[in-house]
Amino acid sequence: MSASARLGLVMLAPSLVIVALLFLAPVILTGVFSFTTMTTGTGISASGAYQIDDVAAGTLRSQGVPAEILDRLSAELFAIDDTTLAAARQAGAAEALVSELATGHHGESFPTRLAFERFLKSLSARPATTRDLKAASAPFRRSIVNTRYESRETFLAALDSLDLRLDPATTAKIEDTAYTGWRWTTANYTRMLSSAESFYRPLRTVLYVGATVALFNVGFALVLAITTFFLPSRTAAAMRALWLLPRILPPVLHVLLWKWLAWDNGFLSTVLAPFGVASRNWLLDNSVNAWIFVILINGFVGASMGMIIFSSAVRAIPVTLFYASATDGASTLQQVRHVILPQLRWPILFVTCYQTLSLLASFEYILLSTNGRPGTSTEVWALAAYHTALSNYTGNLEYGLGAALAIVLVVIGLIASTAYLRLFNFATLVPPPRIEQ
Amino acid sequence: MQSKLRNLVIAVLLGLTSLPLVVMLISLLLDTVTTTRPGSLVPDRFTLDAWQFLWSAPPGRPSIWITTFNTIVFAGCSTLLLLAVSSTAGYALARLNVPFRKFFLAGVLVMHAFPTVTLIIAIFLILQMIGLYNHIGGVILAKTALDLPLGIWIMKGFYDTVPWEIEMAGVQDGASRFTVWRKLVLPQIKPGLMALGIFSVISGWSEYILPQVLAPRNDVQVLSVYLAALINNDTHFDFHVFKAVGLFYALPIFVIYLFFQNKLMTIYGGGTKG
Repeated sequence: MSASARLGLVMLAPSLVIVALLFLAPVILTGVFSFTTMTTGTGISASGAYQIDDVAAGTLRSQGVPAEILDRLSAELFAIDDTTLAAARQAGAAEALVSELATGHHGESFPTRLAFERFLKSLSARPATTRDLKAASAPFRRSIVNTRYESRETFLAALDSLDLRLDPATTAKIEDTAYTGWRWTTANYTRMLSSAESFYRPLRTVLYVGATVALFNVGFALVLAITTFFLPSRTAAAMRALWLLPRILPPVLHVLLWKWLAWDNGFLSTVLAPFGVASRNWLLDNSVNAWIFVILINGFVGASMGMIIFSSAVRAIPVTLFYASATDGASTLQQVRHVILPQLRWPILFVTCYQTLSLLASFEYILLSTNGRPGTSTEVWALAAYHTALSNYTGNLEYGLGAALAIVLVVIGLIASTAYLRLFNFATLVPPPRIEQ
Repeated sequence: MQSKLRNLVIAVLLGLTSLPLVVMLISLLLDTVTTTRPGSLVPDRFTLDAWQFLWSAPPGRPSIWITTFNTIVFAGCSTLLLLAVSSTAGYALARLNVPFRKFFLAGVLVMHAFPTVTLIIAIFLILQMIGLYNHIGGVILAKTALDLPLGIWIMKGFYDTVPWEIEMAGVQDGASRFTVWRKLVLPQIKPGLMALGIFSVISGWSEYILPQVLAPRNDVQVLSVYLAALINNDTHFDFHVFKAVGLFYALPIFVIYLFFQNKLMTIYGGGTKG
C-alpha cells in the first residue's frame, strides 16, 4: 500500500468510525428492531424476567389453556404438605410450630395469605410477633403468581413445584407468555399492514409532500426566482434575503410565530373580528385549516433552496437570448415560458427529487405545529413512527412497531438516494487523484 | 412603461405573499417589550415583564443561562468535530489514493441525499445501550454523524478547487503529503471551513428533534427544547413571554444572518436539507 493510501485511510478513519456507529448501525438496527417486540415494558436489554400476572393469565386463557390450570396458576395457595414442611424447617421455623402443623394439619390448604396467617395465629405454637408470622408463612406458599423469576430455570422449577403435570405444549405456552423481555416477531409488520391508519397515512404523506413541493419548494420558488430576476437588483436581493430567513430561523421559533398568527387571540382572529368572523384557533379548528397551515409552514421554509438554485440558473442564461426574444416581440410572459423555463429543466428536476425525499422523512414542523391533530388528520408516516416509538400519551413506547414504520422510510430513502446518484451523473463528480505517491 | 407596470405587478404580488413573514417578524420584535389589550394588535404600553425569565427561572424549568451554556456547548462542539472530521476525510477522498475511493464517494453522496431523521429511533436505542442517553456527548456525536456526509461532500468540493500545482510543488520540495495538506492545502480552503462552520453552527443552534429525543433532561437541555416545552405547557400561555424567549434564543442566528447573508445564500443553495 502506498504512503498516500495509508495516510488517506488514517485521515478517513474518524469519519468511518462515526458513520459506522451512528449511520450504518442505525440503518441495520432499525431493520433488526422492527422484528422485535421491544417496548418500554420489555426494556431493551437482551435478558428478560418471567412472571405470571393477571395480564399473562388473560393471554393464556385466550390461547385455550384449560381453566383449572389457569386457576391454579393465578391462585395464592398456601398448603401444608411434606415439601412445604421441609422448606419451613430449612428456613428455620420454630420446631414446635412445624411439628404441630405436620401432625395435626397435614394436607390442609388455604386460598389466601390472610386466611393462612389467621389459621397460624389460632395454633397453640403460634408465632409471637408479626414478623415471625410472616417468616413462618412464607415457606408454605405453593404459588407462583405475581412473583418475578430472573431466569428461565428458576421459573420452570417453580412451575414444576405446582404439580400441575403439564404437557410440553402448555408449558411452552406458559413460559412464552410469562416472559417479560422482548423477543423476535413479525407481528409488527402484520399490525402495520392491517391497521386502518396504514391506509390513510400514505395518503396524508403524499398530500403533504406533493402539495408542499409543488406549491412552494418548486412552484413558489420559481415565482420568487423569476420575478426577482426582472426586479432592480437591490430590491431583488432584499426580497431573496427576506425569503432566506424562514430557512435560517430555528424551527421552534418559526412555528411559534405561525401559532401566534393562527391562535384564537392571535393575528388572524383579531384582524378578522371586525368582519364578523368568530375568533377561533385557525391552526386546529378543522382538518382542512390544519392542512393549509402545515403546508404553509413547511412551504415557507422550503421555498428558499429552490429560489437560490433557480435564481442562479436564470442568471446564467445568456442575456442575448432575452434581447433577441424581445426584438422578436416576445412579452415577459412569453420570455418566461419559452426562454427561462426550458433552461430550468434540470434544476427543477434536482430540487423536486431532493426535496421530495427530505420532506418524506421530515416531521419536525408538523410535530411542533399540529402534532398530527385534529384527531390524526395531519399525522404523516414519519410522525406516526415518531409517535409510536418515541413519544405518546400512554407512555408505553413501542420501539419495535416504530422501527417497522421507520424501516419503510429508510428503504425508500436508500433506493431513492441511490437512484439520484445515477440520475445526476456521479462519474463526472469524481475525477481520480493526480499524484500517485 | 410596460416594464414599470410589470415591476409594479411583481412588487404587489411579492409584497402580498411576503406579508405573513413581515407581520410575524415585526410582532416578534414588538411584542417582547410591549403589552396589547385583548382584541387589538396595537401595543399600548412598554414593559420588560416578558424578559423576567432572564433573572428568575419559571418553576420546574432549568435556568435559562445553564440552557444557553448547553446550547453553546452543543452547537460549538458539534461544529468543531464536524470541521475536524470532514476536513480530513474530504481531503483523503479528494486527493489521496484511498482504496475503494469511488465506493466511499458514492457512499457519501447516497448518505447525503438520505433522509437521516428516519434513523432517530435506532439512534435513541443505541445511545441507551451504550449509556450516552441524556448525555450532551451523545447528542453531539449523533448530530455530527448525521451532518457528516454533507460536511465531507462540501469539503471535498473545496479541495477540488485547490490547484494541483501547489501540492506537486510541495511534494517536489520533499514534504510528506500530510505536511503538504497541513501547511499548503488547508490555508487554501479557509472559505470552505468558514462556510461549513457557519452552516453547522446554525444547524446545531436550531436543532430540535435530536436533543428533544436524545437528551431531554433539565440539566442537559438546550434552548430549542426549553422553548418548545414552554410553549407546550398550557398553564402559562403567554405569547409575549414565548416571543421574548424566542428572540433571545434566535439572537445569534440573526447576527450571523446580518453578517454572512451572501455566504448563506451559497450554502443553502448547495443542496442542504429542508
